[in-house]
Amino acid sequence: MSLLEIRHLSTHFQTAQGTVKALRDVSFRVSPGEVFGLVGESGSGKSVSMLSLMGLLGENSVIPEGEILFGGRDISPSELNTKKKRREYEKKMRKLRGGEISMIFQDPMTFLNPVLKIGTQICEGILAHIHCSREEARIRAIELMRQVGIPSPEKRLEQYPFEFSGGMRQRIIIAAALACKPKLIIADEPTTALDVTVQAQILELIQTLTDESGAAVIMITHDLGVVATLCDRIAILYAGRVMEEGLTEEIFYNPKHPYTRGLLGSINNSEKDGNEPLRPIPGTPPDLLKLPAGCAFMPRCQEALRICAAQEPPESSFSGTHRCFCWQNSMDASLITVPTPAAAKRAPSEAEAQNLALSAAREG
Amino acid sequence: MAEKLLEVTDLCKYFELKRGLKGTQVVKAVDHVSFEIAKGETLGLVGESGCGKSSLGRTLLRIYEPTAGEILYCGKDLARLSRRGFLPYRRKIQMIFQDPYASLNPRLTVGEIIGEGMQIHKLCTKAQATRRVQELLELVGLKPDHIRRYPHEFSGGQRQRICIARTLSLDPEFIVCDEPISALDVSIQAQVINLLELIQKERGISYLFIAHDLGMVKHISHRIGVMYLGHMVETGPSNDVYHDPLHPYTRALLSAEPIPDPRAAHLKKRILLEGEIPSPIHPPKGCPFVTRCPYAMEVCAAIQPPSFELENRKVSCFLYEQWRIRERGGKGLASLPQKAPAQPPANA
Repeated sequence: MSLLEIRHLSTHFQTAQGTVKALRDVSFRVSPGEVFGLVGESGSGKSVSMLSLMGLLGENSVIPEGEILFGGRDISPSELNTKKKRREYEKKMRKLRGGEISMIFQDPMTFLNPVLKIGTQICEGILAHIHCSREEARIRAIELMRQVGIPSPEKRLEQYPFEFSGGMRQRIIIAAALACKPKLIIADEPTTALDVTVQAQILELIQTLTDESGAAVIMITHDLGVVATLCDRIAILYAGRVMEEGLTEEIFYNPKHPYTRGLLGSINNSEKDGNEPLRPIPGTPPDLLKLPAGCAFMPRCQEALRICAAQEPPESSFSGTHRCFCWQNSMDASLITVPTPAAAKRAPSEAEAQNLALSAAREG
Repeated sequence: MAEKLLEVTDLCKYFELKRGLKGTQVVKAVDHVSFEIAKGETLGLVGESGCGKSSLGRTLLRIYEPTAGEILYCGKDLARLSRRGFLPYRRKIQMIFQDPYASLNPRLTVGEIIGEGMQIHKLCTKAQATRRVQELLELVGLKPDHIRRYPHEFSGGQRQRICIARTLSLDPEFIVCDEPISALDVSIQAQVINLLELIQKERGISYLFIAHDLGMVKHISHRIGVMYLGHMVETGPSNDVYHDPLHPYTRALLSAEPIPDPRAAHLKKRILLEGEIPSPIHPPKGCPFVTRCPYAMEVCAAIQPPSFELENRKVSCFLYEQWRIRERGGKGLASLPQKAPAQPPANA
């Protein structure tokens, strides 16, 4: 059974300019103990989906539809139309947050309260969720700090956040996240603010700790390198929708969606010999206030069909684990519209031709 | 190697910190850095935050006044020129900044932003300027009628294109790109990189490309310099540096980079460094890397290693003293015993 199941979740924000559809019909599930990657660019809805899950959205948010099941319990944030329902939901979530579900945030510099001692901040969660004395909480905090690799934890417990470096603060946040033995850890870009060598330390730490504790992790990131290193399964988000979902190997070696292929073509793998030209995705992500009628990726898609502009693509699945939302891969597409000739699709665009010439010139 | 454009020797930039009773402390942001850049070449500069790569870029443009050292640009020492004498070089050397949201004046139109430099350097009349700006906008992939718009009407990637058009307006020979892509989304980064490469190919401009995304740096650079705590620890052709990093820090840095290929990522052996970069106010006495180096020797703690030349590469590490290489019977470090790396804390 899956630990977390999100079904048809949509999140909208009411703004002065209109309704921002930040999430549209997002579904995925996370099994116990797995590392699930949520990948997307800024504004793709990866953080919003997790904030919706945790019930941490702002006042102007609306969740018109969606079901969220956590460990078999219903924690859907939609249809909270009465005060009573809202109160009950809030009560339910308070028990979960920091207890069974915990979060690691992006910026270790602002996450910790600067006027409280580190020990107080780690113990806070323990005292809120586990019935124990202060002394027991302190002992647990020391044990946690040792686990995440902070030397002389008894002494460091009494220190304030400013006395720690960025990498050390991220370790403290991880310690606090692990405090109540959560079943699910949501890591929202946990290493983006860190340097490469420190990032490697933190990734290694997350890996060993989750292996030990058996907690599932949802890893939100835009860094495909981090995903490849850490994740078992991936969902690719674009403009608030899941574009493709699959095992890490399926996504990297057999990408089905043109957007996924575009992302993989936009990065350079420094391990490879020589220089392959970069094949960027033309254009820019759509304005979430004025989304196109059909597939949100259509305006930038080099393989777009006529139907893409008119209708949202249906789900097509390739294996039990691999699914994708694209007309190209849909059986229905061939019945409805004539695909563009394969030759025309594959011919390099002008920009690509220039790139090819460039790399040839460099190698020569 | 092609004709040299820039030759930097022992460049230093120290910042003074006034600290009350403790008196003045000195931060050596750039410490005796030497390198050269040929015409039409890209030198990639990598290193972690606080290693001095941005300070180095800014010192080259004399946004920061150099403390010591030479910046030979086509044979002329920029560090010793007067303000007035430096003016023509302000045109020839340009800079693209990291944050395209902060580096464009929100109260000026795109036309004014791009045209401003040409007016200051009296490159053309006002009437010509409009046409020239439109040409530049087209060159960087924007539309000529964007000229009357304001920066807030553009996305991050488009703003970075405006910044590029602004630098190109003065027909520069050398551009310092200070993390030009790190504020952009993945799919947009590649667009900007391709544009920079195209411009280089057409105009033969040299770049100093500062970034921390190692994959992108490798892609765009012909040669690479690695900085650590204000020192240039290694320079060399980018493929060589990536395939056979010499300096222990370069090895650790490259091994720490997560690679976007799941199978390779699982095979990759990561060298985990102990701790973090020491404070630049109190750097180690000898080699800057000695506190975290898995190969550190006695000599490293005492003396700062000079730069050793190996074929077309330079590395500042005592492991590459001639006699040590001979003793090892080759260049590599494979045969050397490593100090046990920092125990992953979980098992400690």
